[in-house]
Amino acid sequence: MAAKKAKRAAKKRAPKKRAAVKKRAATKKRAAPKKRTTKGKTKPRKGSSTSPTNGASSTGSPGTGSSTTPADGTVGPSGIRIRMYRVGFGDFFLLSLKTPAGDLKHILIDCGVHAGDIGTISDAVAHMATVTNNNLSLLIMTHRHADHISGFAKCKDVFSQFNVEQVWMSWFENPDDPVAVKYQNGMAMVAQQLTMALAARSSPADKELKFMAENITGEPMALSDGGGGSNAVALKVLHGGFKNAAPVAYYKAGDPPTLPKDLLDAGLTAQILGPPHDLDLIKQMDGKNEEYLAGNDPAVAAKIEPFDKVFRLKGSDYPKEAFHDYGRKDVEKGVSDAQPDMLAARARQADNTLNNQSLVVLFSFHGKQLLFAGDAQWGNWENFLYGSKVGVGPNKLTDTSKKILASLDFYKVGHHGSTNATPKDALAAMREGVVAMVSTEPGYYGKEKSGTEVPRIPLLAAIEKQTDDQLARSDQIKVGDVEASAGLDAPGKPFSTADGYIDYNL
Amino acid sequence: MPSIFDATTAVPEPTVRPLKVYAFDPSAGHLMGNIMSISLNYEKLAPGPVGKKLAVVDFDGSNNTYYEPVNLDDPRILIQGGIDPSESDPRFHQQMVYAIAAETLQRFETALGRHIHWRPGEPGANDGIPVLLLMPHAMYQANAFYSPTARGILFGYFRASTTQPGKNFPGQTIFTCLSHDIIAHEMTHAIIDGIRKYFTEPSNIDVPAFHEGFADIVALFRHFAHKEVLLDTLRKTGGRLFDDYEKPDASMGQRDDRRNGGTAQPVIEAQISQANPLIQLAQQFGQATGMRAGLRQALGTPPNSDDIKTKIEPHDRGSILVAAIFSAYFTIYVRRTENLFRIFRTGADIDDRQDLPGSLAEMLAAAASKTATDFFTVCARALDYCPPVDITFGDFLRALITAHYETDPADPENIRDAFMQSFRLRGIVAEGAKFFSEDALRWDAVRPNALKPITGLVFGDPNGLTKLEKDANGDILREYVRTNAKLLGFLMDQNGEDIEIPSFHPTFRIGPDGSLKIDMVVEAVQTRFAKLDDDNGSFPMRGGVTLIVTQQPLDDHDLRPPPKVRYVIHNQLSKEREQKQRMHYFAHGYVKHFHGDEAGHHGHGDGHGHGKGAGDDDDEARFQINFGLIHGGL
Repeated sequence: MAAKKAKRAAKKRAPKKRAAVKKRAATKKRAAPKKRTTKGKTKPRKGSSTSPTNGASSTGSPGTGSSTTPADGTVGPSGIRIRMYRVGFGDFFLLSLKTPAGDLKHILIDCGVHAGDIGTISDAVAHMATVTNNNLSLLIMTHRHADHISGFAKCKDVFSQFNVEQVWMSWFENPDDPVAVKYQNGMAMVAQQLTMALAARSSPADKELKFMAENITGEPMALSDGGGGSNAVALKVLHGGFKNAAPVAYYKAGDPPTLPKDLLDAGLTAQILGPPHDLDLIKQMDGKNEEYLAGNDPAVAAKIEPFDKVFRLKGSDYPKEAFHDYGRKDVEKGVSDAQPDMLAARARQADNTLNNQSLVVLFSFHGKQLLFAGDAQWGNWENFLYGSKVGVGPNKLTDTSKKILASLDFYKVGHHGSTNATPKDALAAMREGVVAMVSTEPGYYGKEKSGTEVPRIPLLAAIEKQTDDQLARSDQIKVGDVEASAGLDAPGKPFSTADGYIDYNL
Repeated sequence: MPSIFDATTAVPEPTVRPLKVYAFDPSAGHLMGNIMSISLNYEKLAPGPVGKKLAVVDFDGSNNTYYEPVNLDDPRILIQGGIDPSESDPRFHQQMVYAIAAETLQRFETALGRHIHWRPGEPGANDGIPVLLLMPHAMYQANAFYSPTARGILFGYFRASTTQPGKNFPGQTIFTCLSHDIIAHEMTHAIIDGIRKYFTEPSNIDVPAFHEGFADIVALFRHFAHKEVLLDTLRKTGGRLFDDYEKPDASMGQRDDRRNGGTAQPVIEAQISQANPLIQLAQQFGQATGMRAGLRQALGTPPNSDDIKTKIEPHDRGSILVAAIFSAYFTIYVRRTENLFRIFRTGADIDDRQDLPGSLAEMLAAAASKTATDFFTVCARALDYCPPVDITFGDFLRALITAHYETDPADPENIRDAFMQSFRLRGIVAEGAKFFSEDALRWDAVRPNALKPITGLVFGDPNGLTKLEKDANGDILREYVRTNAKLLGFLMDQNGEDIEIPSFHPTFRIGPDGSLKIDMVVEAVQTRFAKLDDDNGSFPMRGGVTLIVTQQPLDDHDLRPPPKVRYVIHNQLSKEREQKQRMHYFAHGYVKHFHGDEAGHHGHGDGHGHGKGAGDDDDEARFQINFGLIHGGL
């Protein structure tokens, strides 16, 4: 209903040209997801996942070859290329920058897929390895969800051949910060228990909850041949699984980040906009984790009978006046209706919390401003946008945030296009004509009927409006024998495409 | 001798019913007077117990069974003043839940000067809650909550962790219905929901926190009001009380506080010192009842104005309110007992005695208990002076100041000042008040004759109004509010036809000088549905006024003038408020969500309708506080 309204509204304000584009990218009715796990999966070509040099041809594509392949040395007039690999429901971005000497320096931002794995990430990693010649100037892990890091586990052999000059993570990942460590351990334990507790439930909604819990550990999916190894394995790779001993830096909002010399020389600058260093929140979540863990002691989880049998009474024998006029059945129903679904709430909260750990980075290169926001949600954004928590301050965009948003040239859409990751205020303050990319795969989270589908159709419509229809989503293109999502055409200007990825040169 | 004084053999109706309860919960054992007897106003009880306003229904949803209800009128039980405390007998549980629920209700009724009704029904929708159900063993869950859906309070039971049992025996069954605090806390939620129809809409960050904080305040003041419990602890800790407060009323500025390491912070209140035994007592109460660490910490640390900007979880934020109220309480307690210490010191002629003589302890306990009752009363009365919608801590401060002014305008003990200072130190400010002074904080009184009197309004007496009187009042008030809608600040696009009167309550209150004050508290509310955005449906946006209407004294012609409106406590609809609320709902997850097939609320746990999905865009139920989620630690 709401989606339809939005569609109508979008059509009204959009001239014909835009309406056509809209059909292409965002508001086209989504077909049911294909069963890619069995049928549509690309077969990794022999050797491609372990030996990048034997993989795709040097200028080829991770798919089965394409005629529209952009030449791999190509960048835009400002010397920038942003590449989004299509991996399914996950993020895998490669930012390449041209140095004054004319060669390309590469920044990898996340590499993972979880729910909605279309089986292409190994090929994509192999392709990336070729393109970068196993050299990354900078690697950013926004946060430790499987859909952002599983590639590092699955392709750990490939990454073991990489030279990485610098790794950036959020302060939540610092192994020397006891607060952060305790916090992450607690989260992982909670996630494991949620996974166990949810195992007995089987509605479609519960499937999503399971995804959420598993996304935190990455483990059960590894077993079922999903996105690849566990998050623990991926983190190990990121913390020292490369050919060189790549230094890792941990940042919070406002920290001045240290860029590797080659990027600095090329003219790159960076700012860290999130996550904030919110110890209160941590403490709070910590306490809750403890409570939760204590309350879910497996030894006491079984149902108990609190009193001796002699005290039991059948409902029909209970004094009727106790039920007043409500009636016994009604009272009993009231008790069951009032029970909150703690498990679901807990799983959503854990998902939320981890997303808010996302490292949010603003790059500036030759006057172009690029914003990579990970999966940051309100709790992370609000600090940057308003300088305070929503509800306790004036809650007006700060001058700094307004300035930054108004100057943006590129925005990596947060959280695969879900409603909670791109605040309206932020979107509205972005420069009109900003270019955006979203990596997503429909049909795995949410329902269009209840307005929770991801990617969120009206949100994408709003982004298209703000970007003057310069929004590309990863499933607009085919990769190998996985077709583009039903009803989507390939992205037009300013993007170029190949089999398996979309480029934006600027 | 007229016959009316003839002797009779009829036994007089009893006035009170004594019942045994735990002062804390079973884990406190027999320490600190843990087993106590409370006296309730007598009412006839059916097995359950089932009374006029409260009915205990012992249904266990997890085991799908009922437990034998207690008959408190059984002579064998009556003769011993109720069943003796026992964890293994559900009938004692039923007795304790009833006893503390009834006592909490009684205290509110006394403080408010009127009868309390539960959540009223909606014509055509539901019949409200005529009798509140108390279910001592509703579920196997570490949770307890008030639920309008279930028309009552659900108490859970669970097993202590085998690895981290805390103060409990590993793996033992813990009953939330045996915690004195939990019962009082949940009752407070039910009572507020009955008084104010729209207070459970989480329209700003303070709303859920206000509920949690206020409920904790009620629970804590109950402990302080029980003199026996207080006495026990004061005897144990009393020596230092004397030692500490040579200058109990320390003023703003630098105080060499040896126990705070001589920090040069502004310490306006005596009570921030860790060594204040009442603080310790509050913390002990907290510990004994498993109270959250956040509250214990808020009571035990110096106030700061940052917390209010950063703490958003309902319990944590609520703790700020609790601490502010208790600070003021301790300040007044210290002032009231200052002389006792002076006398004691003079007589004892040494400064560092560790023992507190029994009679002094007794007097201190009496003072603490009376002060607790006074403070509870003003807090409860302040509820009536809050705007009808969208409560904030700042509003509550203004309500407190006004409520106190109304009963005790002279304020010889500077109680209002104590409130103001302790709120100010915690950064709680009142939006709309120009200055932080008593005058500015008190709600503005209506200019004489600016509003017409309300002719024909019936105040009745403390026994309540008849249905006919209520109906007549309702018509008069609706008419009055519509006629004066513009002056009262309502939107006029529908000529005031859309203003409803959710409640009106005549109140009969005794002031400190013994005088009876008769007022009527009237809520008038206007509702508009505002769009969240293109695809998230709409949310209810409400504005309105609380009117305080007062009976007038007879005039010179021996006539009774019609009652006048003295306060118009307003929070009307505005674009600004709408935008603020919209943003709040967005940021705190009341919109449809990624990963959220239902009204997916994450984060702060103050959302998630009453089990209805977000499928219906204009479903008001998603904008209701769910105490089940909040109390479940979410």
